[in-house]
Amino acid sequence: MATISNTFIPKNTVIERLNPMTKIFAIFSLGLGTLISPGPRLGLAVIAGLFGAAWLAGILKDFAKIMFGFGIPVTAMLLFIQGCYHPGNVTFIADLGFAKVGLEGVRYALKIISTLLVFLGTFYIMNKTTYPGKLVAALTESGMPPKAGYLVLASLNVVPQMQRRMSVIREAQEARGVETGGGITARIKAYIPLLGPVIMSSLTDAQERGMTLETRGFGIAGVKPTAYVEVCKTRTDRAVNIFLTAFFIAVVSAAVLTKLDFI
Amino acid sequence: MSEKKVTFTERIKSQFSTKSLVLIPIAVGINLIGGTLCSALKLPLFLDMIGTVVVACLSGVWVAALCGLLTNVFLAMAANPVYLPYSIVSIMCAVVTGCMVKAGFFKKVWGAVLTWLACTFVNTVSASVITIFVYGGSAGVTGTSVLTATLIAATKNIAASVLSTSMIENLIDKGITFLIAFVIIQKIPKRFLSQYAADTDDEEDGD
Amino acid sequence: MGRIILEVKDFSFKYRQTKQKALKNISFQVEEGNFFCVIGANGSGKSTLCSALAGLIPHYFTGKMSGRVIVDGISAGESTIAELSQKIGFVFQNPFNQLSYTAGTVAEELAYGLGNRGVSRRMMMEKVEFVSKLMRIDHILDKNPLELSGGQVQRVAFGSAFIMEPEILVLDECTTQLDPAGSEEIFDIVKELNKKGVTVIMADHDMERVARCADKILVLEKGRAAALDEPKKIFGDPEIMQHGVGIPDYVEITRALKEKQYTDRDIEIAEGPAIEMVREVLDRCKLN
Repeated sequence: MATISNTFIPKNTVIERLNPMTKIFAIFSLGLGTLISPGPRLGLAVIAGLFGAAWLAGILKDFAKIMFGFGIPVTAMLLFIQGCYHPGNVTFIADLGFAKVGLEGVRYALKIISTLLVFLGTFYIMNKTTYPGKLVAALTESGMPPKAGYLVLASLNVVPQMQRRMSVIREAQEARGVETGGGITARIKAYIPLLGPVIMSSLTDAQERGMTLETRGFGIAGVKPTAYVEVCKTRTDRAVNIFLTAFFIAVVSAAVLTKLDFI
Repeated sequence: MSEKKVTFTERIKSQFSTKSLVLIPIAVGINLIGGTLCSALKLPLFLDMIGTVVVACLSGVWVAALCGLLTNVFLAMAANPVYLPYSIVSIMCAVVTGCMVKAGFFKKVWGAVLTWLACTFVNTVSASVITIFVYGGSAGVTGTSVLTATLIAATKNIAASVLSTSMIENLIDKGITFLIAFVIIQKIPKRFLSQYAADTDDEEDGD
Repeated sequence: MGRIILEVKDFSFKYRQTKQKALKNISFQVEEGNFFCVIGANGSGKSTLCSALAGLIPHYFTGKMSGRVIVDGISAGESTIAELSQKIGFVFQNPFNQLSYTAGTVAEELAYGLGNRGVSRRMMMEKVEFVSKLMRIDHILDKNPLELSGGQVQRVAFGSAFIMEPEILVLDECTTQLDPAGSEEIFDIVKELNKKGVTVIMADHDMERVARCADKILVLEKGRAAALDEPKKIFGDPEIMQHGVGIPDYVEITRALKEKQYTDRDIEIAEGPAIEMVREVLDRCKLN
């Protein structure tokens, strides 16, 4: 059974060493900047930049897989829908027979796609290059409630553990000769009973885990929790933050100026 | 117990006791195990809401909603960020289920059936809306005409999907989900269940 | 007599929706620095009692409670678990449930409780280093706690309780995951801490260990206190078997020797002296 788990592999790259808050700021600055900018060009440039960042982070291959895996089908669909049926279409650039392709629609589709890809890409890079403990420590330091931090980290840890438990039972079941193949009903009959023990034991475990948390001082009133994981801000962080702020301000002012020109 | 006026925020806060909090990651796990099991068995189902339904019964609406949100956050972090916008679907399903459970619908068969239908409907509609608005159509940034056009497209799409196999699939999927959740709730030991009942002294001693 | 650090006064508790009371009118006192053991058959209320000491009853488990638990002058019922956690460290049966599930490494796991107290990072590192050496887990500090063996997790669980520097350590059948050698090693550490003044309250099935460590023993039977005395008295009482508590074989042997008047010494509850006594008797038989 394929297990889904957060696979953070330390690579000690420049991107990885960045403060998690800087990376989160990048998601919003680049993403919203692309959204505000009038055409698709800026978005495409940012995406090119993201590929560079992914290369720096040493995750270019996986990054490309995600971007193209999502980008190509969405691009095809949006180009078709918006290209042919965008209400603002006036300049037609091609005739498919059943519909005409409008330039405005194509531009509009490209802009949405680029915005989506910027959000997707920045989030992906942030996520893959950040140790979850560090991310949560940084967020908690910036004011996120510790309980929310617990939920994110615990989910990331509990889920793979449950999946392992499931596959252990499954292997045992197979060793005992329970059919893996067969018709759908046979398969359901073989595997739905597997869910029971895993779910039950997990639920009863939950009670003890809650007790553990309480006896280890979870949620002591009036204390700001500290983390073992070190989160620091470096000179690179400051530089990147300045760049991102400047980028966003530039995009906003450019957008405002183009709007004013039309009036 | 002293009679206190319990405010809305206090009620929400009381739902998020440590007891309930530790349940959330496990419910997220149950949600995802259902999903991986289906893909391993090559079943055309998702079964990715079992945990949410169980938590809705144990700890209430808001905990269930959080559980739905976290399931998608987990998927976004562990598998693919594309799942993130769909967290709204998970949250809405959780809220609908949670409210109906709270109203006592889950205790009777017809109520459970009603919850099932409502949840299926909300899921289908909200998933279509997310697909169209975030990934398929314009987000309504350029003016009302586009918005109207999108809405028409959206409603058409929903109408189509209601009649299409996706709705039927969803119906079967949620049906099995609720059935499993129902069985689980029945099987949970009473002593465990009672720890999650509302913290009022409703029962008095009888020994 | 030392200072009373823990006092249980006429304590009863009934879980919600169970018919029977889990604990009935329990009263006892524990002196500072004592090694206090709670024994009894499964379901006799040992775990419930441990939960009550840590404040989990009434704050975590809801039910009907009467009586009081007073920890170092603080009434457990009127303070919070988090507050009590400054004084009491708790190690449960299943070490896997003792993990916080927020840590990616053993070091983070150990430091988790300190983080909740807002301890500075430098202080954390010092304490983590000290405790990990004490528990012999300093070679796995960078490992994921969820990928460790049961025994290692047990050590981590103990370490995360020790690191909080509790005045009282409550151990609820806490060595199930360890092999005999490993569990002895841990108990050597516990005993050492006990000698340094940490009060230990232990619920356990291993009667040899209880006989060896305890200053005082409370025997529970179906939620009632069946006996409360020093180990020699408890194990010297033939009726104790009726409470569903097993007595170590060597204690039985020394008692048999005493009853049949092979020796005029009292029964022995530690393994070494017991063997000595048997040798002595055998030697005397040979001479005769």
